[in-house]
Amino acid sequence: MDYTQLNDKHRQEMLDAIGVDSIDALFDVIPESIRCQGELDLMPAQSELELQRNLAEMAANNRGAHNMPCFMGCGAYDHFYPVLIDQLISRGEFLTSYTPYQAEASQGSLQAFFEFQTQIARLTGLDIANASLYEGATAVAEAALLAINTSKHSDLLVASTMHPEYIAVLRTVLSDLPITLTMLEATDGHIAPRTVKTAITDDTAAVIVQSPNVWGQIEDWSGCFEEVHGCDKAAGIAVFNPIACGMLKTPGECGADIAAGEGQPLGNALNLGGPYLGLLAAKDSYARKMPGRLIGMTTDSEGRRAFCLTLQTREQHIRGAKATSNVCTNQGLMAMRATMFMTTLGSIGMSEMARQCWHKSHYLADAITSLDGWNLKYSGHFFNEFTVECPIPVTEVVEKGKANGILVGVAASGRRMRGLSTSDDLIIAVTEKRTKHEMDALVALFKEMSP
Amino acid sequence: MTTLETTKIASRGDRPTEPLIFEKHVEHATGVDLPPLDVSETEIDKKLCGSGVHLPSLGQHDVMAHYTHLSDRNFSVDGNFYPLGSCTMKHNPRINEWAAALPGFSCLHPLQDDDTIQGALRLLYETRTMLQEIAGLHEVSLQPAAGAHGEFTALKVIRAYFADHGQPERNVVLTADTAHGTNPASCTMCGASVEEVRTSEGQTDLDHLQEEIDKVGADRIAAFMITNPSTAGIFDAKIIEIAEIVHAAGAKLYLDGANMNALLGRVRPGEFGTDAMHFNTHKTFSTPHGGGGPGSGPIAVTEELAPYLPVPQVMMSNDGSFYLDRDRPKSIGKVRSFIAQFGVLVRCWTYISACGPRGLRNVADTAVLNANYIASQLLDLYAMPYFDPSNGKFCAHEFVTVPQVLLDKGVTLIDIAKRMIDYGVHPPTMHWPIHNCLMVEPTETESKAALDSFIDVMRQIAGEIESNITVVKQAPSESDIARADEVAAARNPIITFVE
Repeated sequence: MDYTQLNDKHRQEMLDAIGVDSIDALFDVIPESIRCQGELDLMPAQSELELQRNLAEMAANNRGAHNMPCFMGCGAYDHFYPVLIDQLISRGEFLTSYTPYQAEASQGSLQAFFEFQTQIARLTGLDIANASLYEGATAVAEAALLAINTSKHSDLLVASTMHPEYIAVLRTVLSDLPITLTMLEATDGHIAPRTVKTAITDDTAAVIVQSPNVWGQIEDWSGCFEEVHGCDKAAGIAVFNPIACGMLKTPGECGADIAAGEGQPLGNALNLGGPYLGLLAAKDSYARKMPGRLIGMTTDSEGRRAFCLTLQTREQHIRGAKATSNVCTNQGLMAMRATMFMTTLGSIGMSEMARQCWHKSHYLADAITSLDGWNLKYSGHFFNEFTVECPIPVTEVVEKGKANGILVGVAASGRRMRGLSTSDDLIIAVTEKRTKHEMDALVALFKEMSP
Repeated sequence: MTTLETTKIASRGDRPTEPLIFEKHVEHATGVDLPPLDVSETEIDKKLCGSGVHLPSLGQHDVMAHYTHLSDRNFSVDGNFYPLGSCTMKHNPRINEWAAALPGFSCLHPLQDDDTIQGALRLLYETRTMLQEIAGLHEVSLQPAAGAHGEFTALKVIRAYFADHGQPERNVVLTADTAHGTNPASCTMCGASVEEVRTSEGQTDLDHLQEEIDKVGADRIAAFMITNPSTAGIFDAKIIEIAEIVHAAGAKLYLDGANMNALLGRVRPGEFGTDAMHFNTHKTFSTPHGGGGPGSGPIAVTEELAPYLPVPQVMMSNDGSFYLDRDRPKSIGKVRSFIAQFGVLVRCWTYISACGPRGLRNVADTAVLNANYIASQLLDLYAMPYFDPSNGKFCAHEFVTVPQVLLDKGVTLIDIAKRMIDYGVHPPTMHWPIHNCLMVEPTETESKAALDSFIDVMRQIAGEIESNITVVKQAPSESDIARADEVAAARNPIITFVE
């Protein structure tokens, strides 16, 4: 079914009104030589019942966090979210509305996104946040461009401990621009502030440090950003996990100027990697150069509170080639989910979720490292994710896990993590969803595998 | 002032204003609980901890009420006629939502091994091949997150192709003067400079295209970005000649696929010389706009550009199994984390599969018929620069009107647009691609009754401008708020709530 609603009588009436004999006549302008001869080579139409059957079958041909305990992280986390999000988000008034350019017809979306901006600003300890970007990696790239455009400097210092895909996206985005990207080498799985100090030049635009980093290690943001502030106009960019903000010092508390991150953990499903939610927050001074949409609070002509898109002269639809970014469609519905998530959990829920991630991940790390031959790769603090050196090939560990119905973690070696590690390192994430029973089963499995 | 009084003053009509969540905060409240911690605690180094979370807390019922009230303050495709030109606000079938929410799709971790996600990879592979067929092009990458991201990705691919062929100096991109703002903005993000090509009568000015090429130097042009049907809602009849001119300069023809709804099953862009293009699944393939995303912007390219597409690419092996190929040495790399907007692509697959080849063609046919019908019924009151059916000039899936006669009577375009809100119609796209125009795109999913009702509304407003101009100038009078003061909002931006 193609969801059109005209019958033959309608069509004839409409053609008569236009004054043509056939629909074909409306396409006459198209040169004959390029018109489709015959039908597209696609599968024939399926009814809704057939679609339900076929889709259910395809979905059943996947295993994932719905039928295996998931200890995989590295930028995508299996967190709990309340059922009411799915219920509320399916309201057509949210689902099927457009970007709220017409304020008078969009106060609902606008107010929710304004609340989202405020929640993200508070969560990161910064002044302002935009109404979303695509996902974590592109948010980091936009943060870098924001720092470059503000400082007019052209050197970026990037922590080598950041997620390798984020680094890869940054490289792609910067590859045709006159920007130098310098990688900061790690010591014991994190960036030492003195490494930042050594690398800084007069032309440094920003230092970008992710914490917790790809190995799960908590970085010394304060130390790194203190060094960068020694350079005029240079920015400290904190790449953050919003759940960690429920416990750890926020980017703002650590002196970051800009914070970028992946908002998927805030009420969004794993979805095989998308759609996710790019988060971007910053100090006030960046407002007029922020990429993406911003919602402002204002009044209507009769004096009552109202919301509208604002500072639109930054954006591509007004400024074209001189816009601060090309982003147009963002991740509105994902931001809506995130704000519903934060509103439902509130301070208490956000703190408790973070607390449980901490305690559970430490419980599991202790249990695994009590086994012979299984060691933590790095000695620093971690939050919800840690890296284990396996005594046997990590691919075997992953395979054994699958055979036993557990997604044991992410192997740091191989192409998928872009050659992050050459040894048998397994990155294990623990959210509040993982039970003691599931963790004990993982430990028992590892014990069986011990040499 | 009591709460009741606050509400009374703030509200318009009988719809109460909804306070901000920060104003609904209740100390110690929470909308959901977590199970008690089932493991022993590990000491937390206080040096790591911040000052605590400063978010509002609400009970669960207050949460439900809040978002339900907010949803009441939104127009939507579900509830309103939404003829937003170039945005293709068609019906969003709910089978698509059901499919994307299946746990076998929504609970997959993006770094899982290929052998655990064969169903998902099959869906992606089939989506890829279906889009290749619709585009008439060699290979599709599903990775871009939205249309603008697709433009950026495809331009990177084109630049990588030229760099690999010893022509790195091709760093100028031509765009139409009526292009969507993302076109030039995407060029800038790729480090390319932009030159505008004039349009006349909504179509590319071929002489000016050639002039610009000669001016810049053919060997410096990377691509010409065209939207076809154009943003003025007209199929560019000289598209074959345009492609020839661009190719003669050694450059690539890029198609902004925003208006693919008019071409489905009628014309395949590859057939008219397109080298690269993007789709907007949230326009053409009915994935919901969600108040501004998520979109998805797959790109399709020719065989010579294919090696440069981003990684990973979803592939089928000889044994019929599917895998993600990360080993493409000439690839531009990654443009986002992980794979794609998978959940959006599930909806896209479902929509294309529901339509089938005949249905897709009927989508284009009906979208074009609906637009021409509305145009024909409004032409006497709303002047249309490019629509003249008695001389064989029709529109594609959308049309523009510049209602100068009405404007000359003392209203602005905004007045007309805002008056539409009073009739439950979302205003069309305004002032683009030309000043003082409304761009109307009804889409194919509206009934004839809905089209007729919209025609009545537009005729009624034209009548009001004659008989009762104040009601138009003061519109909207029926909406949740009167006109928002956007100037004040930009002059003194309040983008974070401070208590």
